[in-house]
Amino acid sequence: MKLPRRQVLTGAIGVGAGAVAGAGATYAAAHAGTDERPEPDAVPFHGVHQAGVVDAAPKHSTMVSLDVLADDRDGLRELFTTLTARARFLTAGGTPPDPGIAAPPHDSGVLGPDVPPDRLTITVGVGASLFDHRYGLATRKPVRLSPMRTFPNDAPDPAWCHGDVSVQFCAPNADTVIHALRDVARHTRGLAQIRWRMDGFRSPPRPSGTPRNLMGFKDGTSNPDRTDAREMDRRIWLSAGKATGQAAGEPSWTAGGSYQVVRLIRMRLEFWDRISTSEQEKLIGRRRDTGAPLDGSGEFDTPKYAEDPVGSAIPLTSHIRRANPRTAKSDPSLLLRRPYNYDRGVDAVGDLDMGLLFVCYQRDLARQFEAVQTRLVDEPLVDYITPFGGGYFFTLPGVRDAHDTYGRTLLA
Amino acid sequence: MRVRALVGIGAVVLLAACDSTPKARSETTVEVSRAVCGSGWSDPHGGTQVFRVHNVGTNTAEVELVDPATGAVYAEVDGVAPGTTRPMQVRLGRGRYAFKCLPEDTDALTGSTVTVRDGPARGAPAVVPVGEQDLRDAVTTYRAYVTRSFGPLRRDVAALEREVRSGDRAAARRAWLTAHLDYERLGAAYGTFGDLADAIDRLPAGLPDGAHDKDFTGFHRIEYGLWHGESMTALRGPAGRLRTDVGTLVGGFDREQTDPNDLPLRAHEILEATLEFELTGAADQGSGSTLATARANVDGTRAVLSALRPVLTGRYRGLSGADASLDTLAKLLDAQHSGGTWTPVADLSRAERERLDGATGDALERLAPIAALAEVRRTR
Repeated sequence: MKLPRRQVLTGAIGVGAGAVAGAGATYAAAHAGTDERPEPDAVPFHGVHQAGVVDAAPKHSTMVSLDVLADDRDGLRELFTTLTARARFLTAGGTPPDPGIAAPPHDSGVLGPDVPPDRLTITVGVGASLFDHRYGLATRKPVRLSPMRTFPNDAPDPAWCHGDVSVQFCAPNADTVIHALRDVARHTRGLAQIRWRMDGFRSPPRPSGTPRNLMGFKDGTSNPDRTDAREMDRRIWLSAGKATGQAAGEPSWTAGGSYQVVRLIRMRLEFWDRISTSEQEKLIGRRRDTGAPLDGSGEFDTPKYAEDPVGSAIPLTSHIRRANPRTAKSDPSLLLRRPYNYDRGVDAVGDLDMGLLFVCYQRDLARQFEAVQTRLVDEPLVDYITPFGGGYFFTLPGVRDAHDTYGRTLLA
Repeated sequence: MRVRALVGIGAVVLLAACDSTPKARSETTVEVSRAVCGSGWSDPHGGTQVFRVHNVGTNTAEVELVDPATGAVYAEVDGVAPGTTRPMQVRLGRGRYAFKCLPEDTDALTGSTVTVRDGPARGAPAVVPVGEQDLRDAVTTYRAYVTRSFGPLRRDVAALEREVRSGDRAAARRAWLTAHLDYERLGAAYGTFGDLADAIDRLPAGLPDGAHDKDFTGFHRIEYGLWHGESMTALRGPAGRLRTDVGTLVGGFDREQTDPNDLPLRAHEILEATLEFELTGAADQGSGSTLATARANVDGTRAVLSALRPVLTGRYRGLSGADASLDTLAKLLDAQHSGGTWTPVADLSRAERERLDGATGDALERLAPIAALAEVRRTR
C-alpha cells in the first residue's frame, strides 16, 4: 500500500500550481502522527484543472461512459452536484456516516469502515451528445467537440462507443477504484446509466523507463513533459479569455478543461507473438528490449529522421515515425497520452481479449489526435490492432473550491 | 432528497477530519449490563462520534441510542456478547439522549438521560422502531389484497387450461399472459409462497435438463411450450398441474402465516427480482412478455407500499419520492404496451432500455430503506 515516492511527487505536481489545498488534505492532516506514511495520501480534489489528466497514472483505472437520464437541466445539475459531492468525499477519504436503523449502510465497506483516499482521482468529461436538444446546451458546446470519427482501420461496436459523460477513476489499488465506481453509480442511480466501462491496469517499468504495453513495447516515451506547466498550458489545457492561439473561439466556460480521447484498441496478441522480434520492431520503430528508437541506443534518444530520409533505420511506415515525425509541421499535433492496458477475458476463438485503453488529452481534437490518427491510417501495425470503441469527451474545468461543482461554468 | 443528504455527508467528514484531537473528543466508552445501561457518558458533546459499547454483564444485549421522549432510535448495535466491545458511530445534534439496553431473556432497561448542548443543531435522523404489533395491520391489509386477487387468478388459470385443451394456440397464448400477470401482481418474490411458488412460477434454471426437465412446471413451462411449437396436447398436463397448484395455494393461504418481517423486505425485493430476471430478459421462455411481468411487479410493489403506508408515514421521508419513482417506472413500462402486445426486451432501443433500467434502479434505491427502518424491533 505504501507508494513509491516518485509517484507521490509527480502526482502532486501534476495538479498544478493553482490547486487549492482542499478537503483532500484533511484526511492526511487528521491522521498525521498516527499514520506511518508521511507523504500525502490524497491527490487534491480542488483546483483549476481536474486531477487524473497530467498527473502520473497510478496502477489501476476504470473508464466509464454514462448516458444521462435526467429529464431536464435541473436534473443534469443534480447529477453534476452529486458527482462533485461524491468525488470530493472519495478523494479526501473519511468515515461514511452510519444511517442508524433508517437505511442500509451508506458505504459498500470494500475499503473498511474508514475510507482512505488512496490517491484516488476522478476525472469527469462530457460528450457531444450531452449538447443535443435535451438540456438546452447546444450553444454551449466546446467548438471542437464532436462524436468520435470512424477511421479507416476502425471496427466500431456501437455498444462500446460514445456517451454523454465520461468518468475516469484512477488509484494505486484496484479496490479503491471499484469502491469509488460503486459509490458513484449508487448515488447517481436514476440520473445516469452506465453505457460502457473498461478497466485498465498499468505495468511497472520493466526494468526501467516507460511502462510496457501488452505488445511488450514501452508505450508513451515521447510524451510532452507533463510536469512542465507551460508546456501543458500550450498543448493540453484550454485557457481563459481572448484569442489564445489554436483554442480560439471556445466558449469561456471551457477554460481549464481539455479534450479527452478514449480509444478501446484490441490487440491481436497471439498473432503478434508469432512474428519475429525484428518485424515487431520495424512495425513500432523502437527496440523491444530497451525502447530505444531503431537508430539510437537509449529509450529517450531522439530519432534522427532527417538523417534517414528513406527509412532504412526507422521505416517511414513505422508507428512512431507516422505518429510523430518530429517536424516543425507535426509539432503542433503533439498530445499527452495516459494509456492503460485492458483485459476482458477471452474471445470467440479462444484468443485473449486484451489491448489498450488508450486515453489522451489535447487542446484541439483536429489538430492533435485526429492529425496523428490520420497519419497512422493504414500503418502496417493495423494488422495487429482493432480499435472498436471509445469516444471523444471534453474534460471539464477543475472544481475550484468547496462551493464549486463540476460543470458550474457550463450550466451557468 | 438524496443529493441534499449527500452534501451533508461531505460536511460531516470535514468537521470530523478537521478535529485536531479526534480520538480524545469522539470516542466514549459506555458500559451495559442487566443493571446499568450506558454508564460512562459523562461529558456529552455534539457532532460525529463513536461510542464503544462494552457489555460488562452476563447476557448478550442489543443496545440502542434513543430519544427518551419518543423512543426513536438514532443508532443501534446488535448482539453485543458479554465481555465484548462494539463501536457505535453516530452524529449527535443538540438534544436529549439515552441508551436503551435490551438484554436477552430480560426486560429492556433505559439509562439516564444525557443532554447535548453543543455541536450541530440537528444530528442523524432517528426512527421510531417498528414493533410486531405495528406491522399486524399492514400484514392484514396485504393479505386481503392477495386474497382479493385469488379470484381472478383461479378464474384465469382455469381459462388457460380450457384454451390449451381447445387446441387454439393463439387463444391459449392470450390466456397465458392474463393468468401469468394475475400471479405476478401478487408480488410473490423470494419464497413468499414457499415450495408452491416454485411449482407455479419457476424458471428452468437449476434443473438438470433445463426447459426439458420433468420437474419444470408452472407458467413458464407452459410458456415454453406455447412459444416453441410444442403440441397443444402435450401442454394439457402442465396446464392441469398449474390449475391444481394454484388451487392448493389459494386453499391453503388462510392457514399460511405471513411473517411480518417479510413485508418490509418485499418493498424492494419484488423489483430486485424484476431487474435480475425480467429486465434482462432472462425469464423469457418465448413470449417476450417480461416487460408485462415487470409492470405487474410494479403493481405488486405498490400493494406492499400501500399496506405499509401507515407504518412508513412519519418514519420515512423518502416515501413520496419512492411513490413518484414507481409512477415513472410504470409509465415507461406502459409505453411499451400497445394493442395487447408488449415490446420484448431485446427489441428496446438502447435509450429506452437505459431509461427503464435506470428508473428501476432509482426506485430500488428509494425502496431499500423501507426494509431497514420497518424491520421489526424489540421495544421492551
